[in-house]
Amino acid sequence: MTFRLELDDDELSSCVSCGLCLPHCPTYRTTGDESASPRGRIAAMRAVQWAGAPADDSFTAFMERCVQCRACETACPSSVPFGRLMEGARAALLHPWWKRLAYRVVGSHRLLVLLSTVAALLQRAGVRLPGLPRLPLRQAPLHASGTDVYLFTGCVMDAWSRSTHAAVQRVLEAAGAGVALPGRGADCCGALSVHAGLSDHARQLAARTMRAFPGDAPILVDAAGCGAALKDYGHLLGTAEAEAFSARVLDVSEWLAARMDRLPAVEPSARFGPSVAVQDPCHLRHVQRAHEHVRTVLRPFADVIELDDEGMCCGAGGAYSVQQPELSTAIRDRKLSAVARSGAKVVASANPGCAFHLAGAGLDVRHPLEIVDEVLRGR
Amino acid sequence: MDERLAADLVAVLDKRRVRVESLELALYARDASVIEGRAGVVVFPNSTDEVQAVVRVARAHGVPIVPRGSGTGLAGGSVPLDGAVVIVTTHMDRILEIDEEERVAWVQPGVLNLDLSRAVAHLGLHFAPDPSSQQSCTIGGNVANNSGGPHCLAYGVTSAHVLAVEVVLPDGSLTMLGGLDPDPPGYDLRGAFVGSEGTMGIATRIAVRLTPLPPAVRTMLADFPTVEGAAAAVSGIIAAGILPAALEMMDAEITRAVEAYVHAGFPTDAAAVLLVEVDGLPDGVDAATVQIDEVCRDHGARHVRVAADLAERALLWKGRKSAFGAIARIAPNYYLHDAVVPRTRLVEVLTKVYEIAERHSLVMMNVFHAGDGNLHPLIVFDRRVEGVMERVHAAGTEIIEACVAAGGVLSGEHGIGLEKRDFMHLIFSPDDLDAQARLREAFDPNGTCNPQKVLPAGARCGDLQRIPEGAWI
Ligand SMILES: Cc1cc2nc3c(=O)[nH]c(=O)nc-3n(C[C@H](O)[C@H](O)[C@H](O)COP(=O)(O)OP(=O)(O)OC[C@H]3O[C@@H](n4cnc5c(N)ncnc54)[C@H](O)[C@@H]3O)c2cc1C
Ligand code: SF4
Ligand code: SF4
Repeated sequence: MTFRLELDDDELSSCVSCGLCLPHCPTYRTTGDESASPRGRIAAMRAVQWAGAPADDSFTAFMERCVQCRACETACPSSVPFGRLMEGARAALLHPWWKRLAYRVVGSHRLLVLLSTVAALLQRAGVRLPGLPRLPLRQAPLHASGTDVYLFTGCVMDAWSRSTHAAVQRVLEAAGAGVALPGRGADCCGALSVHAGLSDHARQLAARTMRAFPGDAPILVDAAGCGAALKDYGHLLGTAEAEAFSARVLDVSEWLAARMDRLPAVEPSARFGPSVAVQDPCHLRHVQRAHEHVRTVLRPFADVIELDDEGMCCGAGGAYSVQQPELSTAIRDRKLSAVARSGAKVVASANPGCAFHLAGAGLDVRHPLEIVDEVLRGR
Repeated sequence: MDERLAADLVAVLDKRRVRVESLELALYARDASVIEGRAGVVVFPNSTDEVQAVVRVARAHGVPIVPRGSGTGLAGGSVPLDGAVVIVTTHMDRILEIDEEERVAWVQPGVLNLDLSRAVAHLGLHFAPDPSSQQSCTIGGNVANNSGGPHCLAYGVTSAHVLAVEVVLPDGSLTMLGGLDPDPPGYDLRGAFVGSEGTMGIATRIAVRLTPLPPAVRTMLADFPTVEGAAAAVSGIIAAGILPAALEMMDAEITRAVEAYVHAGFPTDAAAVLLVEVDGLPDGVDAATVQIDEVCRDHGARHVRVAADLAERALLWKGRKSAFGAIARIAPNYYLHDAVVPRTRLVEVLTKVYEIAERHSLVMMNVFHAGDGNLHPLIVFDRRVEGVMERVHAAGTEIIEACVAAGGVLSGEHGIGLEKRDFMHLIFSPDDLDAQARLREAFDPNGTCNPQKVLPAGARCGDLQRIPEGAWI
C-alpha cells in the first residue's frame, strides 16, 4: 500500500520556521530534538508531502511523539493550524488493529465501566496497574434536577470519577441552575479518535452525541478535552446543526465565571485551607483558550498560585501517557518541579486525564469545582 | 553518510545521541533563514568533554563541524554544508552557577536566553541582551552572533555582557577566553570570539554579566500617519537628549499582522508605530515620558498611549517580538536584511527601500530597532511562485547597496553567515578581508569549523570558495 499524505498545501506552507514555538513544546523541551518540535514536525510533513521522502518509521515516530497539546498554536505568531496538520498526518498513518480496538472500548460506555470495575477489583486484590490511579468500585448515580443547563458526563470521566460530576452538579445548583443530564448515546465525545486520526469513527460518535442533547440549553463540560472536542463538532461535521451544537458548549468554569454573583459569599475563615496551584489543561488553555475562567471561579474560595511554566503540558495527552510512557513521564517531571517550586499542596485541574496522570505521581489533584464544592458544603 | 564516522561518534557518545536517519538529518538542513544545506550526522553532546571528543572524531575523518543552538539564526549560520557534523547544544542547557553578589552567571551554551532572565528575576536581575527571539534562542547562539535586541540601545549588545567563554577549539583542545577580572591581561580574544558565528570553535561554558532590573519602566506606543513622521520623531527623541531603553518602529503592514496575533490594540490604520521604553529612577522616567510624548506629537503622532500595567507592557512587547514570525499571515516566506544606517538618514533610506521593493513587485515591510538605525527590511513572498526568488535576490542586493551607500553596515545583529557573505566586499577592502581571514586561521588553521561562512570567496588570496551545488539559497 502506498502512503499518501494529503495535507492542505497552504496550511503546510504557513510555517516560516522562525522557531518561536520551540520552547513552548513539551516534547522539544524534554528532548532538545528538532524532530520533536512543531517546526521539525512540519518540516517532516513537508519532506513527505512535497519532496517525496518516505513515510518511514522515523516519520511515524516523529508524529506519534507529539502530545497534541497544541501549545505551538498559541505560541505561533503565524497561526499555523498545527492541530489540524497533525490530525491529518495521523489519519494517514496506519493503525495496528489493537489500537483501533482500544478506541472502540473508550467509545463504548458499558464496556469501559465493566473494564474499570475489573481493574478496580484487581487493585483491591493488590495488583499494581501501572499508569492507573486507584479506581472507584461503585459510584452513586447522578439525578437530573432541572433543565437550565446540561452536564456532559462523557466516558472515561464518568466511569472513573463520577464524584466529580456530582460536585460540579452541586455547585451549579448552588448557582441556581437546574441541571439536566444527557439522553443515551452521549458516552463519548470522540476526542481520542480525532487525535488518533480516526475521523470516521469520530464523526459517528459526534452524531450520536448530538442527539443526546435536545433543545437549546447550554451544555457544560467538566473535562477540558471533551469540551474542546464538542466545541469542534462544527468543524468535524461541517453542518449548520453541528455549528449550532458547538455554540452551546461551554466549560463549566467558563459558564460559572459570568455568574459568580449567584454563588453564596464565604467568610475568610471558611475558605479552602491549602493554597491551590492551577494546572491548565492544554485543551482548555491552547484549544478552548478558556483557562482564565478557572481562576475567576476559584479566587473567592481559595488562594490561587500560578505555576511558573507558562501552562506547559503535563504529559497526559489522552492516550499519550500509555503510548509514550517515557516521554510522558519526562514531561510530567517538569510539571512536578513547577508544582514543587510553587509550594502548593493541592493542584486544581479541569481535565480528568491530567488529573489522573498527576495523581499517579502522588499529587493531590482536584477539579476546580470540587474545591468550590468543598468550601460551599463546609460553610 | 560515512558509516565509520558515525560509528566513531557513537563510540564517544552513545547511539541515541548520534543521528543519521535521512528524514531527521533533513530537519537540520536549515535555520530560520531560507538557506538549505545538508547535514551528514547530527550529534547531541552533554558536556565539554563530549564536545571535545566529537570535534576530534570529526577532525580525524576530515569532516567539517557546525555548531547549532536553537536554529533561530537568520543568516544561515548553523546551516551545514557538505555533509558536516552538526553539533547541537540543546542538551547542554544547565545554568551552572549564579553569583548574586558579583552579578555573574556561568551557563552552558544551550541555556535559552529568556530562561536565564527568568531564573534570576527573583534576585532583581536579568540578562540584558534581548533579541526578539529571546524565548527560543540559546546564549551560545547569542555569543556566536553577538546578538542585539530592542533593549541593547541602552544596555549594549551581547559582547558587553560576556565576561568569559570556555571554547573547544577546532582541533579539539580547550581554552578559556576572557575572565572575570575587569580587565584580563593580554589581547581581548574573548572579544574576537564573540560574533565569530561558530567559525572559531564551540563555546561550552559562558560567564555572563547580569544586570539589575530597572526600578521603574514606562512603555509607550505612538501612532503616526506617515513613516517619515515616525522616523523624524526617532531623531527628535535622541536629539532631545533622551536615551530610551528601547526605541522600535513597525510599519503599517507589519503592525496589522502583529495585531492579528496579539490583540494588543496596535493601531491597524497607522502608517507606522513607535514603541518607546524608558527606564531608570521613577522621577527621571516620568519626566522622559512627558518629553517623549511631546516630541512624538510635534512630529505628527495622532496618539501616544502609555502602557497602564505590566500585562499591557508585556503584550506590546510580545507584539513587537513576534513580528518576524507573524508574517506568514501575509506570505509563507521571508527574506530579511539587517543593515545599520546612520539615524540621520533613516527617512531617506526607508523611502528608497520601499521604492526598490515596488519596482520588483515585492511586498516589503519594515520592523526595526529605530533607535540605533538598525533596519530590518523584510521581503515577504511565496517561494512556490515561479521566478520570485530571482526578484527577491535582486531587490535584496539593491537594498544592501542602498544602505551601504548611505554609510551603513551589513549586519546589525543577525550575523553574516551564508546569507550576507558575498556582500562583505561592499564594506571591506581586500586588505580588511585578508586580515579577518588571518584571524580566523589563527583559531582554525585547517578551515574545518563552520567553513564557508562569514568570509566571502577569495577573502584569503587564492582560496576560491563557492556556495556548493545543491545549497538552496
Ligand atoms: C523571530 C526572530 C527574531 C529575531 N530577533 C533577533 C534580534 O532582535 N536580534 C538579534 O540579534 N537576532 C535576532 N534573531 C536572530 C537569532 O535569533 C539570533 O541570532 C540568535 O542569537 C541565534 O541563536 P540560536 O541559538 O538560534 O543559534 P543558531 O541559529 O543555532 O546559530 C547561530 C550561529 O551561532 C553558532 N553557534 C551556535 N551555538 C554556538 C556555540 N555554542 N558555540 C559557537 N557557535 C555557536 C552557529 O554555528 C551559527 O553560526 C531573530 C530570529 C528570529 C527567528
Ligand atoms: S509553527 Fe509557527 S512559531 Fe513554529 S516555526 Fe512555524 S511559524 Fe514559527
Ligand atoms: S502539539 Fe504540543 S507536543 Fe505537538 S508539536 Fe505542538 S507543542 Fe509540541
